[in-house]
Amino acid sequence: MTTYLIRRLFQAALTLLAVSFILFGLISAVPGGFMTVYAEKSDMSPEDLARIRAKLGLDDPIPIRYLKWLGNLAQGDWGKSLTSKRPVLQEISSRLPNTLLLMGLALICTILVAIPLGILSAIKQYSWFDHFFTTLAFAGQSLPVFWFGLLLIILFAVLLRGPDGRPLLPGAGMYTLGEPFSLIDRIRHLILPISMLTFVSAAEYMRYLRSAMLDVIHEDYIRTARAKGLREQMVIYKHALRNAIIPLVTLVSLDLPSLFGGALFTETIFAWPGIGRLYFTAALKNDYPLVMATLVIYSALIILSNLLVDVVYAALDPRIRLS
Amino acid sequence: MKPIQSPFVLLLALALLLSACSSPSTPPPPQPEQPTSQAQQPAAPEAPAQPTTDPNAPVSGGILIFGSPQEPSILNTLLTTSSIEDAVTSLFVEGLVQVNDQGEYVPVLAEELPTVSEDGLVVTWKLRKGVKFSNGLEFTCEDVRFTMEGALSDLSQVSTSGYRDIETLECPDPYTVVATFSEVYAPYLRLFAYIVPHDAGELDQMETWEYNQKPWGTGPFVLEEHVPGDHLTFVKNPYYREAGKPYLDKVIIKILPSREVGIQLLGTGEIHALWDITEADLPTIAKMNEQGVTYAAAVTGENELLVLNLGANDGSAPADPNTAPHPILADLRVRQAIQYAIDKQQIADALLYGNVNPGNSVLPVGPFACPQPASEFNPEKAKTLLEEAGWKVGADGIREKDGLRLSLKINSTSGNLLREQTEQVLAEMLKAVGIELTIENLPSDVFFAGGESDGLRDTGKFDIILYTTGPALDPDSHLFSNYSSYRIPTAENEWAGANFSRYINADVDQWIDEAALITDTAKRKELYCKVAKQINQDIPRIYLYERLSITAHRNEFHNLTISPSFVDFAWGAQNWWLSK
Repeated sequence: MTTYLIRRLFQAALTLLAVSFILFGLISAVPGGFMTVYAEKSDMSPEDLARIRAKLGLDDPIPIRYLKWLGNLAQGDWGKSLTSKRPVLQEISSRLPNTLLLMGLALICTILVAIPLGILSAIKQYSWFDHFFTTLAFAGQSLPVFWFGLLLIILFAVLLRGPDGRPLLPGAGMYTLGEPFSLIDRIRHLILPISMLTFVSAAEYMRYLRSAMLDVIHEDYIRTARAKGLREQMVIYKHALRNAIIPLVTLVSLDLPSLFGGALFTETIFAWPGIGRLYFTAALKNDYPLVMATLVIYSALIILSNLLVDVVYAALDPRIRLS
Repeated sequence: MKPIQSPFVLLLALALLLSACSSPSTPPPPQPEQPTSQAQQPAAPEAPAQPTTDPNAPVSGGILIFGSPQEPSILNTLLTTSSIEDAVTSLFVEGLVQVNDQGEYVPVLAEELPTVSEDGLVVTWKLRKGVKFSNGLEFTCEDVRFTMEGALSDLSQVSTSGYRDIETLECPDPYTVVATFSEVYAPYLRLFAYIVPHDAGELDQMETWEYNQKPWGTGPFVLEEHVPGDHLTFVKNPYYREAGKPYLDKVIIKILPSREVGIQLLGTGEIHALWDITEADLPTIAKMNEQGVTYAAAVTGENELLVLNLGANDGSAPADPNTAPHPILADLRVRQAIQYAIDKQQIADALLYGNVNPGNSVLPVGPFACPQPASEFNPEKAKTLLEEAGWKVGADGIREKDGLRLSLKINSTSGNLLREQTEQVLAEMLKAVGIELTIENLPSDVFFAGGESDGLRDTGKFDIILYTTGPALDPDSHLFSNYSSYRIPTAENEWAGANFSRYINADVDQWIDEAALITDTAKRKELYCKVAKQINQDIPRIYLYERLSITAHRNEFHNLTISPSFVDFAWGAQNWWLSK
């Protein structure tokens, strides 16, 4: 087990190095680059542009820039954002709590919604309940997120009014501006974005769990369990669910990096200051130190979560041996 | 969850987002509520707030929430790169001379407009006395000097134009600035449009200044808090020079990345104003009148325009297109025919609901405005000109000459519905006179890429391109870089310049050069008007319509005036007030 882990971690480091090289190459290959922001400022003289380009270190060839970046990273320096001049780690950490809050709560809600629905749909296969929620799950998976979010806002933050005549829910942001801290206000701001994230991801989780449950409840050992007189609840939750949930564990673990990565569309529509938007804006501005940092941390988390999945798998399913 | 994992997915997402943002939802023909060429609010009453029954008298107090789709990432005017940064800094930064909502230069931190010596080389500013920064320190000539040194310093990311021509800058007393130039700098009025306080920090450490994130200035407001990604809160500058102003207690800039959502929140009153509305959003805004929403707009000096390539379109891109002319567009008659075939009024009416003026001049507004006669829409003349030029109608209705089809390609930025519609309408109009127009749009990064990345504008690998550009209030640098023959981008000059048409006219070159060497505004204007007129005769570009700077706002938000430059959204912010 230990040798296995060491080997996997070594592989992970190599993969990450390769990923960072490819990412850097791709980002640098984007036509235009950071200097495009000055392209439409006609009062910039060519000399001004040359001086700025040199100061930003954009004159070096791409491999040299990559090595410089890597060298700084090896000393723990992730660099500074080209636009804000702040250290990129500071940029990321200023958004991290918001992202964790939104994505963490959404993940918990998703699991809380998806597991019961998945189980019930499976054991009541082809009932109206199953049909209703399976259809809803399809809708959740196929709705364009952007459109759906706008719909939620128009419905709950514009059309529907509370008793005081104000919109039922706030449409954007983390809290009401200009007012003192209030937990209720914070929760009200979380309702719409979390509902949207939950609706979309629960659909996916529920469908996985439903099909896994359907496979399992037709197995011989379930029939045996029933035959020996176990209560139905015991059969479902103790025998069937434990086996059916394995694919879901994979799914959830692979989604863990998104706790860091955020959700671009949700953050954009609901004006949530998360990392998804930070990264997106940086990518639009070709702010490569910031883009590289978010992508590399995100890649590292994906690689680690894959490793985690493999380890957890072995724990959940004794048939799998890590060697 | 569905994490976004690849940059390509992101690009796709961006395209979706932009197209979603720019689509006007089922537009009825709205009635424009106000003239578009002027800010719709009357000038600010000068009287200080006092208790009165007049509903139009300003009321003190209140928190104004201003929505913005973009976020400023740095607030040091020497390091800003985006228009939202320039816009937000105008809440707390002032300049010696600025441009008001009528497009005129007015003294702000200067007592009067600067005086110029006979030979044009010495410019003298008299500074207002007793002006204080929000940290209590007095504003003096030292701050003006520091601003110049800052702009010229190694780390600055602003244009050094003008500042680098200053030989000496002297402060004979704290309220007088005397700059001696090594050569005449005609647009001297635009210098010192912002002032950086001299105690901001050491110039060689500019990137780590605390000032970058927590700046101060002489303007009506001062930054209290910046929550990244969410909002910036500005409070009253306690030392602001006008008594009783600003009226508002706070201005909050709320970041709302989706403009669609921003417009909805304007309707519910969650925000009071939304910056950077586009012309395509105006029908939606007009429909929200009952919800208490209106807008203020100003013509900006930028035109949505067509750039016609007079040089070869294969990338050979010579500095002199006469050695390798464009096979179709080098002929003036073809360019005239294209102009005659385009019904600009119809584009303005059908696609923009009559909210904009058709474009006719490179200088539509500002101190140097030179309106030109409207171009004529006359398809018959277009056909005659094409016949004269030897282009005969072929079997499929498209003209031909010597086996060459009269087929042109138009490029623009993708994901912009309005531009796509404009291109389709243009293709129809040109088809009616026998010209084929094929459409090929590119992501804006690719479209605007420079020559070193093989960008089509610099290398000249295009027939016609559609985008927006125009002069800042002083046309000097825009006319020079866009129409002077010294500014044709080539590999030899490292792609400097924006004369993408590869337009050469010796008279135009001379007038632009001449105007750059005199400081007399009237004389300069005369020369620039000659340029504007000559351009319309030679047609290297076709101006489709004048772009607006638009801010949507609620009726309870008063005295919002828009300056014709895109950036000064906070022009006159000391006069803003909210009715209860």
